[in-house]
Amino acid sequence: MEIVTNNFEFLENGLGITLVVFLPLLSALVVALLPKKQELLIKLTALGSSLITFILSVIVAIQFDYSKAEQFQLGNKLSWIEAINSNYEIGIDGISLPMLLLSTFITVLAIIYSFEHLPEPKSPKGMMALILILETGMNGTFVALDLILFFVFFELVLLPMYFMIGIWGDKTMRSVAGLKNEVETRLYASIKFFVFTLFGSAFMLLGFLGLYFRGAKTFSIPELIELGTSGAFTGTFATLVFAVLFLGFAVKVPMWPLHTWLPDAHTAAPTVGSVLLAAILLKLGSYGFVRIALPILPEQAQAWAPAIAILSAIGIIYGSLACLAQTDLKRLIAFSSVGHMGFVMLGISSLTSIGINAAIIGMVAHGVITGLLFFLSGSMAHTYHTRDMGRLGGNMKLLPKTGGLLAFTAMASLGLPGLAGFWGEFMALLGAYNPLPGLNITIFRTSMVAGAIGTVLTAGYLLWMLQRVNLGEPNDEWKDKKLHDADAYELAAWIPLVILTILIGVFPKLIFGSTNDAVISLVTKAFGG
Amino acid sequence: MPRRSKFYIALVALLGSLISFLPLIFQWVNYENPIILFEGSYVIDKFSIILKGLFILVTYLTFLLSINFIESDRYYQGEYYYLLLSSLLGALVVTSSRDMLTLFIGIELASAPMFLLSGWKKGDQKSNEGAIKFFLLGVLSASLILYGFSLLYGLTGELIFSEISKILLVNNLSTSPAALLSVMLILAGIGFKISVVPFHSWAPDTYEGSPLPVTAYLSVSSKATGFVALMIILTKVFPDSGSSWGIVLVFISGLTMFIGNLSALQQSNPVRLLAYSSIAQAGFILAPLAVAGISGDYADGIYASVTYLIIYAFMNLGAFLVVNVLINTSGSNDIYEWGGLAKHQPLTAIFATVFFFSLAGIPPLGGWFAKFVVFRSLLSTGEVYGITLAIIGAINAVIGLVFYARISKIIWMDSPSENITINTKPVLLSPLKVVGFISLVITFLAGIFPNIFSNLGNASALFFNS
Repeated sequence: MEIVTNNFEFLENGLGITLVVFLPLLSALVVALLPKKQELLIKLTALGSSLITFILSVIVAIQFDYSKAEQFQLGNKLSWIEAINSNYEIGIDGISLPMLLLSTFITVLAIIYSFEHLPEPKSPKGMMALILILETGMNGTFVALDLILFFVFFELVLLPMYFMIGIWGDKTMRSVAGLKNEVETRLYASIKFFVFTLFGSAFMLLGFLGLYFRGAKTFSIPELIELGTSGAFTGTFATLVFAVLFLGFAVKVPMWPLHTWLPDAHTAAPTVGSVLLAAILLKLGSYGFVRIALPILPEQAQAWAPAIAILSAIGIIYGSLACLAQTDLKRLIAFSSVGHMGFVMLGISSLTSIGINAAIIGMVAHGVITGLLFFLSGSMAHTYHTRDMGRLGGNMKLLPKTGGLLAFTAMASLGLPGLAGFWGEFMALLGAYNPLPGLNITIFRTSMVAGAIGTVLTAGYLLWMLQRVNLGEPNDEWKDKKLHDADAYELAAWIPLVILTILIGVFPKLIFGSTNDAVISLVTKAFGG
Repeated sequence: MPRRSKFYIALVALLGSLISFLPLIFQWVNYENPIILFEGSYVIDKFSIILKGLFILVTYLTFLLSINFIESDRYYQGEYYYLLLSSLLGALVVTSSRDMLTLFIGIELASAPMFLLSGWKKGDQKSNEGAIKFFLLGVLSASLILYGFSLLYGLTGELIFSEISKILLVNNLSTSPAALLSVMLILAGIGFKISVVPFHSWAPDTYEGSPLPVTAYLSVSSKATGFVALMIILTKVFPDSGSSWGIVLVFISGLTMFIGNLSALQQSNPVRLLAYSSIAQAGFILAPLAVAGISGDYADGIYASVTYLIIYAFMNLGAFLVVNVLINTSGSNDIYEWGGLAKHQPLTAIFATVFFFSLAGIPPLGGWFAKFVVFRSLLSTGEVYGITLAIIGAINAVIGLVFYARISKIIWMDSPSENITINTKPVLLSPLKVVGFISLVITFLAGIFPNIFSNLGNASALFFNS
């Protein structure tokens, strides 16, 4: 620790975070300029840069002063667009730090996995470049402290993900309501993802502009938080702005009933795409609530909280019921995301420090666990050439390593105490049981009961999935086929996630140590409690 | 001149347009106060310098786009460059003109050569049809403008804009029926030039029939000339009746976005698609002017419109370059036949992705900032009209994405069509590459460091405060 703080002081003035954000973009350029035939060089460049980015983010985490976690640290403010007073303002606090680390960490694993496991049309060059551009967007969103900067990074993830789904995605045909001819799943899913999220964020931008004009003509998030907590935004104006911010963030989370793009996108995306989508992209929405919507519009947050709680509860129940109806393994996991993000949003809606802490650890846990589930299901789909759970079965016997990991991850996902998934669910329910004073207690307790029923249903569908996929005797069709169990690249991508799942499960302080002060300060400043 | 040496004509045109850039730079560097010539008829201020720069650069890029086209068949070459340069001269005059005669001559000098150029493909029926339509409506639009001007002259007895607006104000004539009729006639006349609804119907046909470089010029430079004329007239002659024409423009702007985008959704011909796309974009450029009219904050409206115009010019030129190359590669005028062209034209496919998504307004490409300044200007007053237009704009940004993304989808993701034979000869020739790279750099610069463009827009707007 000492070594780091002494030798890397030059990174403290915003340079460290800036590198974490833009190094991937620069490497993407380098990758794009390398000749296509130099596959190994391309892969190593991508891996190297993502590793360096990860190490830099760890250095940033070490430099971070945890005793002042509620303050934005290690940042900087440079002039960007003078005429509209938008600046390159960056910094991290205890809430964004875990998200940033999650993002840099998952990207490394995604790149390791892509070394050998790319669906047609292969082209590691394109895939690596897209993953790296995506990383810039994700990291940037977590460190941006200017609304316009936030918007640009928030949107930067759209293009790479669109191409990832559209080029490497699922090529089976499907029928779409309203279209005469069948279309390829990937084409439908990619544009649906794009249109849904752009729809939300176009309106979100209008909301940002509203804050700019009503506030002191500033886009700076810290300044707007000061204004917001001192009651600058009220009335119809604030209601409208919260509504459009809600639209922008809720599509991304996604909250029921804006979630319909998610199962399609997840099912169609290549494995790496699903992992990045689930692990990080969904968090951009819930992070937006915590970073922007809640502290800047506290009064509106309280007015909207019951509605968010109800939608979250519906999302939890709906997600789990939908899971019970799935035959497609990947689609099941996609719907489970709707449920899990429901818990995250339920935690946020309680507007208490317990609930928001729950939301953040829930985000990290969901990123780690569901990321791993998508890795596993993607790999199994690659081995078996099907995702139909009716044809799978006896996976433990056929692919013992993958099967074992699947069993472990399913347990983590259903919220088994001692593993990462537990804290987010449990504390979100706790938060909903005892929401911020003044909020409608009946609605929150009902949502809490719905959430509790949701945990049972979650356990139900995950165990049912395990029973169908992992246990029993293998189907006859696999008898004489040579099936490859997880290889070194896959294990290298997966084992760190397993370790992290256990670590966060046993030492939740890894996350709370960073978030708690920041969350308490947010709640006190915004809601006085 | 023998055919072989006609190459020199292109060279002269290219060099000429570049050299004319130099005095602009001197004017910019040594700029102190607006230079007023001919008793106020002709003014050189930052607004005019910036837009002159834009027009010259766009014409230069159009020449680069033209070289291969004009060599590809037995087209008249000397006349082609001569006419484009005449049109450029007209556009340059418009930026500085501050009286009715100069402005009218400028507008017509800019558009008359285009009547001829749009019919340059003599043997092609569509080209003839498009040119005739363009000509007839062009004459109609000129007569509407002229009629509006003559009303104004009758009303005030002055030609110079600043004098006219003074007399209108002093005699309380700003909102008199004659003045309002005059502003509506001028709006309709210029409405044809900038092809906004309901004066847009000629554009898709003419765009489709014209040679592609001419279409690119029409959709960028001609449109911009119309917008510049509109900005000057509305803010210099009718600043006090803004609440009347502002509301008309609000409706025109909203309708233009919707009709442009919804029609573009249904196009399979790439040129018609771009025609409707540029109609929709005109709706975006018009929106800040409309709201500025109602609020009276002209500087803010001009800032947004000029910034949008500058960024739009380059991404749209880039889009035409892409369409040009892809039509020549596939030999097909149907975008649905372009499946998998990225394999044959990787660089063009990257250009396509950048320019079309920039037109859609996706960060970090320049188009996002153009849309952003428009939204900012619309919401700046907090009035109902502005908010409504902003919501319409947001919805249209999403509709636009669907067809802009479609091109990328087809060339990157679709499987190759069996109906086409790929032209294996090099299509993306070096002049085209230059256009592509210049537009690419500007598009990225505008998206990542918007400050440069924002400052240009701001500098040009300062003169509309007074």
